[in-house]
Parts: sequence; structure tokens; C-alpha cells
Amino acid sequence: MNLKNIAIALTVLVFGLIAMLFMQKGNYVNQAKEHYDATTAKSFKGNSMVLELVNNGIETNKSTWAIACQALQTVKTSQDMARLEAKFFPATKGTMSITNKTRRFEASSANVIVSTFGKVEEDKKTGVKSLADLQSVDVSVLLGNVVASAESDEGAEEGEEE
Amino acid sequence: MDKKKMKILVVVDVVILVVLIVVLKSLQGGYEEQAKRTVNEQESSYLEKNTQVLVEQWRSVDQYSMAWKLVYSMLSGAKTEAAFKSNLAAIENDKDARFKQISHLYTGAGINDAVQNSIYEKAGLAEGTILVKNEKGSKEVACGKNCVVKFTFVKGKLKNVDYSALVQYNLANSLKIEKPAEYHFE
Repeated sequence: MNLKNIAIALTVLVFGLIAMLFMQKGNYVNQAKEHYDATTAKSFKGNSMVLELVNNGIETNKSTWAIACQALQTVKTSQDMARLEAKFFPATKGTMSITNKTRRFEASSANVIVSTFGKVEEDKKTGVKSLADLQSVDVSVLLGNVVASAESDEGAEEGEEE
Repeated sequence: MDKKKMKILVVVDVVILVVLIVVLKSLQGGYEEQAKRTVNEQESSYLEKNTQVLVEQWRSVDQYSMAWKLVYSMLSGAKTEAAFKSNLAAIENDKDARFKQISHLYTGAGINDAVQNSIYEKAGLAEGTILVKNEKGSKEVACGKNCVVKFTFVKGKLKNVDYSALVQYNLANSLKIEKPAEYHFE
């Protein structure tokens, strides 16, 4: 009786091992696939995000540079500057400092340009002051010199918006 | 079934079990080694390909940044062919400023220092000069992937700068992170 039980148990074990033999490859494949999927998905997500964020950053950056360079070619007054700003960033307006004769345009904290004008003009009818005779456009912030530019703009006051 | 046949069955079972265990163990080692090797190979290959895209983007941003700085220098300073040459050399040789400008753009885009440094370690800065055409009166500089800025001089004086490619610059169409391929065990 005992021998019979042992024979049955061993036979079951044999079939169990045969089943394991066929299943073990599948287990390794599944484990490997899980690891591969998790690692590559993380890489895909992380790197896609970097790529997209930088591309978005370039969008804002190139338009700010374009304002700075086109200003050097075409802008004479703060009104011209305001029109140029609106062409690239319709929803963002620059701020003027009549005292410092500057106009600061901040597309984002990393994309700032400061235009310096030579004189202040006043409309005799309306009394609205504006800036004329563009002297220079400071792109320090775009070059990564954030501190220097922030200091130069300190104390600027809000001027009349065109 | 008589006792003798039972004994034979037990002995045969034991022999088969031993053989199966040996086969199982040897296959187990083979499968494990193959799984590790194929996963490592395929993961490394994919990660390398992805990293290469970010490396290319970094170097493109370097060229893009130098090109903007050059255009700005030419429009805000001396507008001569000689100034172009000296401005270009100064911009290309100031590697600290180049890194600072790229890093500033990345930081502004929300990429932290650790990620920037890991890309920079592999990418460095764009190699060689951005000057791709250097004829008397006509210069062209690369401003990133598929981007060229054209400077025209007449009698040594700057006549025109065409930086429309910079204004329209868009890496989204040319650089992409591909989705991972399916894993293959074999």
C-alpha cells in the first residue's frame, strides 16, 4: 500500500516537473519583458519630456531674441517696440520706466530684454509720455547673465503703456 | 498491480525525476543568462538611442545660441566683415559663455541641473565651427539642425542678415524620441 502511494506521488511529481519544464521559459520571458518594458517606458517618458520642454523653451527664447534683433533693425520709439512685442507675444506687454528711459519685456523669467532709449517724448495733447531714440537692447538675461540684468532693472517704475 | 511492478515504477519515476531535475536546472541557468543578456542588450541599445537624441538637441541648442549671439553682435556692434570674423571667433572660443547660455535656456525650460549635467557629460559642446560658408561677401553659419543664417557683405560692410531660419527654428519636427520596440527573448 505504501509502495503504491509512493509510486503515485512520484508519478505526479514527474508530470509536475514536466509541466515546470515547459513553463519556466515563459516565466523568464515574462520577467525579462516586465523589466524591459518598465525601463524603456521610464526612459521614453523622461527623455520625451526633456525634448518637449526644451523645444517649448526654444519657442519662447527664439521669439524674445527675434524681438531684440528686429528692434535693433527697425525700432525707434517705445511704441514701435510695443508693436514688435505684440507681434511675437500678443498676450504679454512690456513695462516702461520713464525715469530710466528703459522698456523691459519679460516673455518669461528666463526670457527678458531691456531696451534703453535716448529721450522721453510727451504728447502735447494727451500728456502721455513715451520713449524715443532707441540706444541699445540688453540681452544679458538671454545669455544667462541673470543677476547683472536684474540689478540694472532694479528701481524701474511703471510708465505709460501705449 | 503487483508489488514488483510497483517497485519498477518507483525506480523509473526516480530516474525520470533525477533526469528532469538535471534538465530543469541546466535550462534554468541558460534561460536566466539569456534573459539577462537580451534585456541588457535591448535596454542599453534603446537608452543609448534616446540619449543620442538629447545629445543632438543639446548640440543644436549650442549652435542655435551661438547664432543668435552672432546675429545680435552684428546688429548691435560694428557691421563689418572683419567684425563678423572676430565676433564669431570670440563667441565660439568662449566655452563657458556657451555652456551658460545653453544651461540658462534649459533651466528656463524647467530642466534641472542634474539632467543638464548628465546630457552635457555626453554631449559636451557642438564640435568645430558653425561657419559653413565662408566666401568674400557671403557667410553662412549653422544655427542648429536644419538651420542656417546668412550674412551678406558689400565692400566689407554688412548689407543684410537673413536670420529667418532662426526665427522659425523648430526642433520638434527633426528630433524625436522613438517608442521602444517590443522585447525579444531570442
